[in-house]
Amino acid sequence: MRKLLALVRRELLAYFSSPLAYVVLTAFLFVNGFVFWLIVAYLNDPRTRAMAPLRLLFGGTMYFWLLLLFVVPVITMRLLAEERRTGTIELLLTAPVTEGQVVMGKFLAAWIFYLFLWLPTLVYVGILASYATIDFGPVAAGYLGIALLGLLFASVGVFTSALAKNQIVAAIFAFAALVVVFSVGLIENLVTNPLWKNALSYMNLWDHMDDFAKGLVDTRRLIYPVSLSGFFLYLSVKALEAVKGR
Amino acid sequence: MIEVQDLTKRYFDREVVKSVSFFVPEGEVLGFLGPNGAGKTTTMRMICAYLPPTAGSVKVAGVDLAQDPLGVRARIGYLPENVALYPEMRVEEFLRFRAAIEGVPAKEVPERLAYVVDRCMLGDVQRQVIGTLSKGYRQRVGLAAALIHKPPVLILDEPTVGLDPRQIVKIRELIVELGRDHTVILSTHILPEVEQVCRRVLIIDDGRIVADGTPESLRTGFSGLSAVTVELEGADGASAAQVLGGIAGVEKVEVLADGRFQLAVRDGKAVRREVFRAAVARGWHILELSQSVPSLEDVFLRLTTREEVTGEAAAEVSYA
Repeated sequence: MRKLLALVRRELLAYFSSPLAYVVLTAFLFVNGFVFWLIVAYLNDPRTRAMAPLRLLFGGTMYFWLLLLFVVPVITMRLLAEERRTGTIELLLTAPVTEGQVVMGKFLAAWIFYLFLWLPTLVYVGILASYATIDFGPVAAGYLGIALLGLLFASVGVFTSALAKNQIVAAIFAFAALVVVFSVGLIENLVTNPLWKNALSYMNLWDHMDDFAKGLVDTRRLIYPVSLSGFFLYLSVKALEAVKGR
Repeated sequence: MIEVQDLTKRYFDREVVKSVSFFVPEGEVLGFLGPNGAGKTTTMRMICAYLPPTAGSVKVAGVDLAQDPLGVRARIGYLPENVALYPEMRVEEFLRFRAAIEGVPAKEVPERLAYVVDRCMLGDVQRQVIGTLSKGYRQRVGLAAALIHKPPVLILDEPTVGLDPRQIVKIRELIVELGRDHTVILSTHILPEVEQVCRRVLIIDDGRIVADGTPESLRTGFSGLSAVTVELEGADGASAAQVLGGIAGVEKVEVLADGRFQLAVRDGKAVRREVFRAAVARGWHILELSQSVPSLEDVFLRLTTREEVTGEAAAEVSYA
């Protein structure tokens, strides 16, 4: 446990001592701020239907998804690819830590950094709360949905970073894989076979976020991202075991 | 301390390490020699539990690699060939991180940290960012990291490559010092280094061990012959060569220049005595009479070059 903690700590330190973290953070806040302004402006128009603005912010617009599909690969691309490129992985894996601990450490650090990105958006909640009454249930559920989505996306990013030696390649792989993970659930709207429709709805991440943003916490929506990220982490460990000597 | 039995590594159809066996007793400094690509690094990576062996067994300080790879890792301090460190970390930060993942109890960390910083002479860069350090300092940081958990075994893969001569001397001194209370495997292809630092040498070529012994025994034992150089004045070249060739113990006479000869001899002392007598009897003046023992380089080249030839022969067979 102490070893895992040390790994996570080192990784977070690496995040905050590289310019990339601040670039990502700035870009993320800029885009989110713009989206927030857009949503408020849109809802202020008397012709629009009344809606909870945070429901739109949490997955209700394409901006949310575009941003995540870009940002998460950028967060995760460095993790294992860089260790392999520079050769520090050899030093790491000749210490008494398992591949599993290394992967887990990287993954947790990426996830914590992802959560950190969302931290400033609490300001939007504060702004809205000062002008209107807010139901904090759905807000909390929305953040839970975002956290779960982060688990899933970060695990995919860790996996591609284990496969590629080059950060950019890792990021592109992660982006491609995440587009598949994201859009596979959307096929739900295209099929009519009820069995397929059911299975695909289980994987529908858009509905996943929409449910959470409405304040609906369904166990199915918890199990899918957690189990899928567990699967990708398992693959990452296997990939790392296979490629470490190359 | 280190027991390696029939260690083999195969990548697809290519065998990189072929059934290597050796034993390193406690407190020994073993020189691991071999040309580039001979399988040195792969062998060491397997001993360090980084790469899984295809076959064979390794025991380090009584711990079996197959049963407890993490236990083996905990007992080895490893300095890889290209010491890759995290450039954004400070030296002390990095060493603390290493201590944590090596499982050094939190209470002992300050004491261990002070010890390795002192031992590797890092006091003046302790708070510096690793990325700004010179190659020599980085090598020492790597060594400090390898020592932080008090490992009984140290495995160092070409620790002096890329250092300036002064740094090389310092690192060598440090290795000799560390050899007093650690069992060390030192991989290198710098032969004088081996003669200075190691009590025993293992030469590996094409994945096989081709020699094992002290540097002295390798030098004399392998050739069996030493070289005697003679320079004579007042002697006719052809007849002198004949006379020298007639001396008991001379295997071969080579004419180097007018009046200069190189003899390959079995017993250098007796031959030199006879050369002197022969010269006196014929009225020749001896300008030079010296004996040289083959250097470790000669032994190394002979062993590894011969292997290369058989390697080529094998390749031809496989093509046919």
